[in-house]
Amino acid sequence: MRLSRDVAIVGAGMTRFHHKIHADKTSRELFVEAALEAADSVDNGFDMRDVEALFVGNFSSDAFEHQAHTAALMADWLGLCPRAATRVEDACASSGVAVNMGALAVASGAYDVVMVGGVEKMRNLTTEEVTDTLAMAADDLYEVAAGFTFPGLYASLATAHFAKYGSSWEQLAAVAIKNHHNGALNPKAHFQSSVMETAKKLGERRGVTFNDEMEFLRSPLNPVIAYPLRLFDCCPVSDGAAVVILAAAEVAKRFTDTPVYIRGLGQASDAMSLHDRADLTTLRATRVAAEQAYKMAGVSADDIDVADVHDCFTIAEVLATEDLGFFPKGEGGKAAEEGRTALDGDKPVNPDGGLKAKGHPVGATGAAMAYEMFKQLRGEAGRHQVEGVEVGLTHNVGASGATVVVQIYGR
Amino acid sequence: MDGMEFTVKAFHDFLAEGRIMGSRCRGCGAVSLPPRPVCPECGGRDLEWTELEGKGIIRAYTVIHVPLTRMKDRCPYACGVVELDAGPRISGLILGVSEGEKIEVGSRVEAEFVREGARTVLCFRPV
Ligand SMILES: [Zn+2]
Repeated sequence: MRLSRDVAIVGAGMTRFHHKIHADKTSRELFVEAALEAADSVDNGFDMRDVEALFVGNFSSDAFEHQAHTAALMADWLGLCPRAATRVEDACASSGVAVNMGALAVASGAYDVVMVGGVEKMRNLTTEEVTDTLAMAADDLYEVAAGFTFPGLYASLATAHFAKYGSSWEQLAAVAIKNHHNGALNPKAHFQSSVMETAKKLGERRGVTFNDEMEFLRSPLNPVIAYPLRLFDCCPVSDGAAVVILAAAEVAKRFTDTPVYIRGLGQASDAMSLHDRADLTTLRATRVAAEQAYKMAGVSADDIDVADVHDCFTIAEVLATEDLGFFPKGEGGKAAEEGRTALDGDKPVNPDGGLKAKGHPVGATGAAMAYEMFKQLRGEAGRHQVEGVEVGLTHNVGASGATVVVQIYGR
Repeated sequence: MDGMEFTVKAFHDFLAEGRIMGSRCRGCGAVSLPPRPVCPECGGRDLEWTELEGKGIIRAYTVIHVPLTRMKDRCPYACGVVELDAGPRISGLILGVSEGEKIEVGSRVEAEFVREGARTVLCFRPV
């Protein structure tokens, strides 16, 4: 795979991801908020009329808000009509795929400037209804019918990984602790407190004291959701939107002196059901998509200075850091435990808190990863900035890995 | 049976008879469970029905504590990916297990065909 011309991000915006603060809003307001912030972030100013097409990642506004045909609605609310507006649905990878679709549309020469975003407004439903809706991203007839929930699928991958590599739930806990630490440094994150701060707060309410994070994480205050995964192994249910503006390299400098270039991209699919995959300790689609992206960018896993990977569950981050080639197979959990993926580690992963702490409004997640890379590569990530970032990677997974998209960014 | 299409309905109809039926590719020999109209290994469309014995091991599993709405009354319950001794894998409820520590990857299980309303569901029970 090769792009006919280079594509760059020239602006990015996102709402805070949260479960409460957007209670009085619908997805159209969230998307507009992110889009206007993206436009306002363009250094030399941006006229919405420069947008030639819109790509919107959205998983299930149909179920969450009883609203389909989301892309046209967003174009309408942004005053973009009659420009082409396309919705992309690939479960949790919807807007990561939308980024690729937008980049390919610009690279093809069809457009010079496109807007790509994602949105999900999930908190209208009860936890059970959200569980039902998320499970729609698995095979309804052969997995959901067997009782699997979305957390249950990743929990199963965890048992397979533990059995094959001797990895452990304690290693998963290290991922949660690290991502909550990072989230506390990110004003856009859903959770902005460390695990220890949360332990203190929750403990005080019940008259319990915890000496350290692990004591709290092993306690009933961190209940099992799907064995072996507990509450703090799972991303929260959030509302939010994120938007980036993509431009052809030829015109990018019109908008900013410091565009962030998409150096490589990849996308792959895999069998929908876990039972149809040969290896339950790896996401094959991650390996394939990453291989494409590394090849296009002319870099290897060792060259990646910062990565946003799809940690919908802690085990997912472990799988990702192995399948992307950051660590040998079976050693992702150990690497997290040793602090190698921390902000000051040798391979910083999810500096923004990841899905785990930043939140996961399903359809918005891929675009929010692109937002993060725009900030990191321009040195504008604030308190969670990684030092000396030249090359960044994003990795966005649909459900249990039947869709994976990877992008590599450079300056 | 010959000429019967490899549909979801056919798979479930066989379950109602207490049989686990997959599709076998006459080209490359790959067995698909549940059955499919196209061989995922070679793209072959020349397929035949093949019956599989309901014995195998757990390859991956979980115990669900936050359930789907329709499973609310059975919580906590176990489900997982079972590899039949003949090779193919399938997802199923794992009966009689409500604690993750009670089974492990590698535990042996046997199929049970559980009637749920008009449908028969393929489940497994540790042996
Ligand atoms: Zn075949």
